[in-house]
Amino acid sequence: MIKDKIKKIYKGKVKNIEKVSASSYVIDIEIPERIEVTPGQFITIYCDGLTLRRPFSVFANKENIISILFKERGKGTNYIKSLKCGDEIDIIGPLGNGFTIKNKKALLIGAGIGIAPMNFLKTKLDEKGIENILAGGFLNKDEIPFNIKLDKIYTDDGSKGEGGSILNYLGVLINTFNPEIIYTCGPSIVLKTVANAGMKYNIETQVAMEKVMACGIGVCRGCVIDIKKDNKVINATVCKDGPVFLGNEVVW
Amino acid sequence: MVTTLGILETNLNGLVLKNPIITASGTYGYTNEYKDFTDVSSLGSIVTKAITLNSRAGNKNIRITETKSGMINSIGLENVGIDKFLETKIPVLKENNIDFIVNIAGSTIDEYISLAKICNQNNIKAIELNVSCPNVKSGCLEFGTDEDSLYELVSEVRNEYKGYLIVKLTPNVTSIEKLGNSAQKAGANAISAINTLKGTSIKINCINGEIQKSIISGGYSGIGIKPIAVSMVMRLSKAVTIPIIGIGGIETLEDVLEFLSAGADAIQIGTANFTHPDIAGRLVIELEEFIKKNGFKDLEELKKELRK
Repeated sequence: MIKDKIKKIYKGKVKNIEKVSASSYVIDIEIPERIEVTPGQFITIYCDGLTLRRPFSVFANKENIISILFKERGKGTNYIKSLKCGDEIDIIGPLGNGFTIKNKKALLIGAGIGIAPMNFLKTKLDEKGIENILAGGFLNKDEIPFNIKLDKIYTDDGSKGEGGSILNYLGVLINTFNPEIIYTCGPSIVLKTVANAGMKYNIETQVAMEKVMACGIGVCRGCVIDIKKDNKVINATVCKDGPVFLGNEVVW
Repeated sequence: MVTTLGILETNLNGLVLKNPIITASGTYGYTNEYKDFTDVSSLGSIVTKAITLNSRAGNKNIRITETKSGMINSIGLENVGIDKFLETKIPVLKENNIDFIVNIAGSTIDEYISLAKICNQNNIKAIELNVSCPNVKSGCLEFGTDEDSLYELVSEVRNEYKGYLIVKLTPNVTSIEKLGNSAQKAGANAISAINTLKGTSIKINCINGEIQKSIISGGYSGIGIKPIAVSMVMRLSKAVTIPIIGIGGIETLEDVLEFLSAGADAIQIGTANFTHPDIAGRLVIELEEFIKKNGFKDLEELKKELRK
């Protein structure tokens, strides 16, 4: 996974902000220079008056525009949602270690807002001509961002695509598509289930974790998880060692 | 940007820093983490994350949460232990040309004594005692909340350590003046105040009539504690004669001036490093510009004027 790219504080400008589903938005942020972001890496946004910056994985990155897909959840996202085109926005990035892209037939699983980095990863895989399918699981059809091209759709209430949790279809997806690698992002239960399936079918899985963090750069130790390394359980920070980990090294 | 030598020079009566801006323990790593954002060598000093005799994995479960005006942390002193610290972290600080202060923590006086001896042997120029740890012997009351325990602890460390000794006081007491006095009597060279306040956050989520609670108890820090910190620094400055390093919610030049005015000789930046990773370096520049713009000779003169 790519290490130690220069991270910076950018005084960016809101280029566009758009509602893309019942509860999610895409914000395009223009920064003064072009940066290289790996899918799975994230940025943090300073939300006026709040102590903790909010982390968001990158949804798209073209030239000097960084886009994030976010769901309105609380004070931080409410602030970001309230921004208008042309407003200044204070971001830090790119942070963390993203997905290690391998030249292997890939299954991408995004659940809920976890679809954000999977969309970015798909773009990169397509650019490199690596065969892949993107499967998205959502509560219902209204939660599906209209601006994402999904190969497979699952909704809990059956209002679009196949009905029921995406996890119920994991075995079928693996058996029909025969992926050599699975990349995933979503709620913890999704990551865990995908990681376990990977171990069962002997397929490499890369999972993008999420945890409340203060610094985003590995200092505060607020976002540690347990991982297995050389038969030992050790602490790893989601922000700096992750957010992407191998599914079989995370202690679930 | 090169800071003119001299005008911000901070003499803490035995420890001379190039300026009074220090980063607080546990909020600045070993400076490599901040190099992308600011000139870390421009800082007066940095206090390293609390080091214990043996390594500690820290706490499980939720470690941080945001509050309305700050945050609560319950990291649990996760650290690599003193040996690995000396071997792997000090070289990083030296390479980055950092004046550092080593924060040490223990759960028995013997642990503190061992750490003090090791620091002495390794010519560590300055240490800061974290006295907010439970004292196993006294039924796990914190060392820093009892005058006699604090006096005993600081005296024992003083005997073993010849360098510059700072005692970081906890605000979770009725009379911080008394604790300040204990530290001074026992031979501390300076006091840093305040450590985090005890805080608890219970976040309640109700889904279809089912209550889910997310509880975290730990150290409360950030802008919300600033008035308490300023008050304690002010009271301490009347109670002790040794220098005071002010800490608590500092994130602007106005905050720095407020602490200097209350009696602090230097200040530490903590939580704000997380929100604005360039803040410490920026404050060095802003303080220098403020002194020049207003025609003061140097920091010493500014302090005198602020305290009139």
